[in-house]
Amino acid sequence: MHSDDVRTAHVLVIGSGGAGVRAAIEASEYGETLLVSKTLAGKGGCTTMAEGGYNAVLREQDSCEIHFEDTLNGGAWLNDPELVQILVKEAPDRIHDLLRWGAVFDVTGSCQVAQRPFGGQRFPRTCYAGDRTGHEMMLTLIDRLNATGVRVVNEVTIISLLKDGERVNGAAGLDQKGNLSIFLADSIVLATGGGTKIYDISTNSSSGTGDGYSLGYSAGAELIDMEQVQFHPTGAVFPYDARGRLVTEAVRGEGGILKNALGERFMGRYDPDRMELSTRDVVSRAIATEIMEGRGTKNGGVYLDVTHLPHSQVETRLPVMLEQFLQFGVDIREEPMEVAPTAHHIMGGLRITAHGETTVPGLYACGEVAGGVHGANRLGGNALADTQVFGKRAGEAAGKVKVRQNRANPIQIEAIQKQLESFLHGDVSPSAVVRSLQIAMWEGAGIFRNSADLEKTLGVIEHLGTLRLKAATPANFAECCIARHMLACATLVVQGALLRKESRGAHVRRDITQAWDGRGSPYGHTYQSRSRQGIETAVKP
Amino acid sequence: MKDISVRVFRYNPETDEQPHYQHYQVKIREGARVLHVLHAIHDEHDPTLSYRYCCGSGQCGSCAVRANGEPVLACTKEAQDGMTIDPLDLPVQKDLMVDMEPYLAEIPSLEPGSEILVPTQDEVDAIKPLRSCIECLACVSACPALKVIDFAGPTAMRENMRLALDPRDIPDRVTEAVCQGLFTCTSCQACWKVCPKDIQIPGKAIEKLRALANRKGLTLPRHQSVEKLVRETGRSVDRIGTSFLEQVPEVLEPYGEVKGTVGFFVGCMYNMRLPQTALDAMEVLRRNGIRVIIPKEQVCCGSPLIRTGQIGYLETLQRRNIEAFVSRGIDVVLTMCAGCGSTLKNDYECPFRVMDINELLLKFEIEPPARLPVKATYHDPCHLMRGQGIRAEPRELISRVVDLVEMPSVCCGSGGGVRSGVPEEAAALAENRRKEIEKTGADIVISSCPFCEYHIMEHTDRPVKNIATVLLEGYREKDKKKVREDWS
Repeated sequence: MHSDDVRTAHVLVIGSGGAGVRAAIEASEYGETLLVSKTLAGKGGCTTMAEGGYNAVLREQDSCEIHFEDTLNGGAWLNDPELVQILVKEAPDRIHDLLRWGAVFDVTGSCQVAQRPFGGQRFPRTCYAGDRTGHEMMLTLIDRLNATGVRVVNEVTIISLLKDGERVNGAAGLDQKGNLSIFLADSIVLATGGGTKIYDISTNSSSGTGDGYSLGYSAGAELIDMEQVQFHPTGAVFPYDARGRLVTEAVRGEGGILKNALGERFMGRYDPDRMELSTRDVVSRAIATEIMEGRGTKNGGVYLDVTHLPHSQVETRLPVMLEQFLQFGVDIREEPMEVAPTAHHIMGGLRITAHGETTVPGLYACGEVAGGVHGANRLGGNALADTQVFGKRAGEAAGKVKVRQNRANPIQIEAIQKQLESFLHGDVSPSAVVRSLQIAMWEGAGIFRNSADLEKTLGVIEHLGTLRLKAATPANFAECCIARHMLACATLVVQGALLRKESRGAHVRRDITQAWDGRGSPYGHTYQSRSRQGIETAVKP
Repeated sequence: MKDISVRVFRYNPETDEQPHYQHYQVKIREGARVLHVLHAIHDEHDPTLSYRYCCGSGQCGSCAVRANGEPVLACTKEAQDGMTIDPLDLPVQKDLMVDMEPYLAEIPSLEPGSEILVPTQDEVDAIKPLRSCIECLACVSACPALKVIDFAGPTAMRENMRLALDPRDIPDRVTEAVCQGLFTCTSCQACWKVCPKDIQIPGKAIEKLRALANRKGLTLPRHQSVEKLVRETGRSVDRIGTSFLEQVPEVLEPYGEVKGTVGFFVGCMYNMRLPQTALDAMEVLRRNGIRVIIPKEQVCCGSPLIRTGQIGYLETLQRRNIEAFVSRGIDVVLTMCAGCGSTLKNDYECPFRVMDINELLLKFEIEPPARLPVKATYHDPCHLMRGQGIRAEPRELISRVVDLVEMPSVCCGSGGGVRSGVPEEAAALAENRRKEIEKTGADIVISSCPFCEYHIMEHTDRPVKNIATVLLEGYREKDKKKVREDWS
C-alpha cells in the first residue's frame, strides 16, 4: 500500500451535502479549498433527500423572535440560544444566496417565496420547492460550487483525521479501490452529516453512518447531546426493504391527517391544540403508542391520509410522495399511506461556537454533525436552514485561519496502514456487524428508553467492537472503517442516553419520573470527549 | 422471503480481460427492489460486487443500472426472478459502476448576474417540469445519437432549456445548445421513456430549444428549405412522380360487407415517396371490410416543422387537416406513417380519434393470410413504439405471415430532421441497424414507418417492407394457393 498520494489545500471540507458545499463555497473566498465527498458530490448526504422545506422569516407578520421561541420550545430549551439566534437571523439571508444562485423555490403570485405551515411553528414559515426542496438546494449549490475554484474529490471515504500536536492538520481517506490518500490543510470543516443508519429503521442515505462524530471524537473533540436522536413520525412501512423511507412532514403541512386502524384521528389524545402539526417528538411518541397498544395497521403503522385534499394539491405540492407511493402500488390521492416512526436526525454533535469552531484547534463543524442548534428536538425545516447558515459561518471561519506548513505525521500514517492491513486478516463481515448493531440500537435505544436496555445495548456494541472485521479485498477497507464509525457513533448515543437521567424532547427515559418540563430542567448539555463526560447543570436565562 | 436468481454483469478492468455474467441465487422479501438484490449479493454472497447507491428512494440518481436492458433506478425497480442486471451503457469503472463524472460535467450551470431576481410564478411553473432531474444518466445511457456523434446528451439539453427559461441566467443557452449538438437529436424519445422522473426532454426541451434557435436564425439551412417547401406546397418532400392521392378516388369501398369506415391520413412520405406501400395498405383494408375516405386537400401533418423548431406555419397545417376530416363527419382517422400518427395524437387537439393501421387491423378480425416461408426481423419505429406506445400489435400481425426474429429496438437515425440536417449521423445510426439486421439472419426487414423504411433501405441489402405489404403478400399467396386448389 502506498500513501504517496498527498494533496494539500488551505481548507479541507469533508462532506458534500448542503452544509459541506456551502462551507466550501465560502471557504474558497479565502484560499485554496478541497472538498472530499464519500459519494459523487451532490448525490450523497441527506440534503438532497430533504423534502419539506427551509424555515426563514420572510414576512412582516412573522418575526425572528417568534422563530427563536418556536425553535427553543420545539427543542425543549436544550438548544444553545446563541446558535438559535444566529440561525433565525441569518436563515433569510442564506435563502437569498440560494435565490441569487438560481434556486427555483415555489413562489406566490406576488413573487414572494411561498411558505407552508410545519410542525411546532406559530407562523407558516417553511419555504419549499414542491416536496423536493433539498434536491433543489443541492442542484443550486453544486452549480455555484462549479463556479468557484473548489477542487472536488469524489468517492473518497475519510477514515481518520490527522493531527499535529493539538491541532488537526489533515485527513486520511480511501478511494474505491482501497488506496490511501492523505489530505493536508490549515483548517478542516467536518460536514459529514448525521448517523441514524445506526438504527434498523432510518430515513438516512447510505452516507448517514455517523463518520463525523467518530472522526471528531477520535481527534479529541467534545460532543454534546448525542442521546438526542429525532425519530421522524412518518416513515414508510412497506415494502420491508424500503421501510423507514421518509414521508415528508409537508404531507401534514398540506393538511394530511393521522388515523389509527380503528379510524380514530388519535392526535387529539396527545396534543389537541396542534394535532398533526405538533412537534416531531410528540407525534412520533403518539404513533408509537398507538401501534404498541394494538391500534396499528397490519403492516405495523398508522394511516396518513390526504385523500380529502384536491388531487391537484397533492400533484403539485407533493409530487415526490405521489410518485414514490405509486411505485409501491399506492395512489395517495385515493388511499391513505401507512407510516411509522423512523430514525431521522441526530440533534447532538460536535460542540461548536458561533463560528463553527469545535474544541479542537483547526477543526470546524457544521450541519448535522454539529450539536446545539436544535436542542432536544429539531423543528422540521430548521435543518436545511442550519446547513446554509452554519455552513457559511464554518467555511468563512476556516478560510480565515492562518496559513501553515502542514506535514503528515508518519507514525499516524503507519498506524492507519497497519489497521487497514489487519482487515485483510479479519473474520467477520462488516455488513454482519452493522446489521447486529442496527437491530440492537432499534430495540434498546429507540423512542422509549430505560437504563437496563441502554446498558444491554452498550454491552452489545462493546462486543461487536471486539470482533475482527474482514475486508475481502482492499476495496472493502472503507466498509470496515465505516462499520467502526457506526459503532463509535452508537456508543456516543447510548452513553449520552445513560448520562441524561431525565426525559427531554426526543429522549424519553421510561425508568425515570421527573417533576420538570424542558424549560424547568436542572440539566444542560450532556458532553463526551476522550478526556471527560458528564451532564451540565442548566444555565438559567 | 423468496428465492430468485439473477444474472449480474461483472468486470474488473484491473484483473479481467473480458466482462462476464455471474449468476446468483438470493433470498429477497416481498416488494424488494433491484438494489436490495444487489445488497443481498454483496452482504451474503460476494462482497467484491461494486455498485453505486445513496438515498435508496429515487431522489439522488446514483444507482441507475440496466434491468433486462432497460435503464432503471435500482432502488425503485422491483426485482424479478430471472433478471439480468447490467451497468448503464457508459464506460464501466467496475461491475455496475460507470464513470458518471464526465457526463455530469457536461450539464451546464447557472451563471447569475448581479441582480437578485425571484422568478415569477409563471417562470417557476415553466421551469419546474425540467427541474426534477436527478442526473442519474439513464437518458444518456439510452440516447443513440451521442454514441455516434458529438452530443452533450439529453439532460444537458434539458438543463440548457431550464436555464434559457430562467431570468437570472446570463449566457446565451440557445447558441450553446446548438454548439453542443442540439440538432443531432433524432427525437426518438428514448431519453423520455427511460427517465425515472418522466421528463419529456424531446418535446419540452429539445424542440423548444430548436424553436428558440429558429428565432435566432440558427435553424439548419436544410431544415429551412423543408419549411419553405411546406409553406409553398403543403408537403415536406418534393414531387418525383405520381402521388398516392392522385391514384386513388376519394372513397375506396371494401370488396365485401362494410365493417367500418375510416378517414385516411397518408402523410408526405407515403404520398410522394412510397405510394405503392400506401396502395398495398388500401388493398389490405378493402379485403377486410374497411371503407376508406381519403380527403384530397389534406396536407403535411407538420411533424418535420415541430421536430426542427419551425412552428410558424404549424397552426395553418393543423387547421387544414382537421377541417379536411371534420367536414366529412369522420370520427376515426387512420394513419400508417408512425410520425404522422404520433403528431396527430400528441401535437394536435383532434375532435376525432386517431388510430394507427396496426391498431386498426388488430381491432377488426382480419382475414388470416397464408404463411410465407420467410424469416423476418422487425424494426420498431420510434414514433410508433415510444410516440404511440404500439409495440405488440405489429409483432402480432407479422407473426401471422412470417417467422419473426427480434433485434434490439434502436432508432435508425431518420427522424428529428437528422437525415436531412446531419446526414453523417443518420448514416452511422443506420449502419448500426444494418449490423443488427445481419445478426438476426433475417431474409427481410419489416417496419411500419416510411422514414424508417426509406432510410434503412439505403443501408441494408435485405428487402425492407411495410407490414401492410407483407400482409398483402400473404393474401396473394393465399389466393394463388386457392387457384391451384381449384384447378387440381
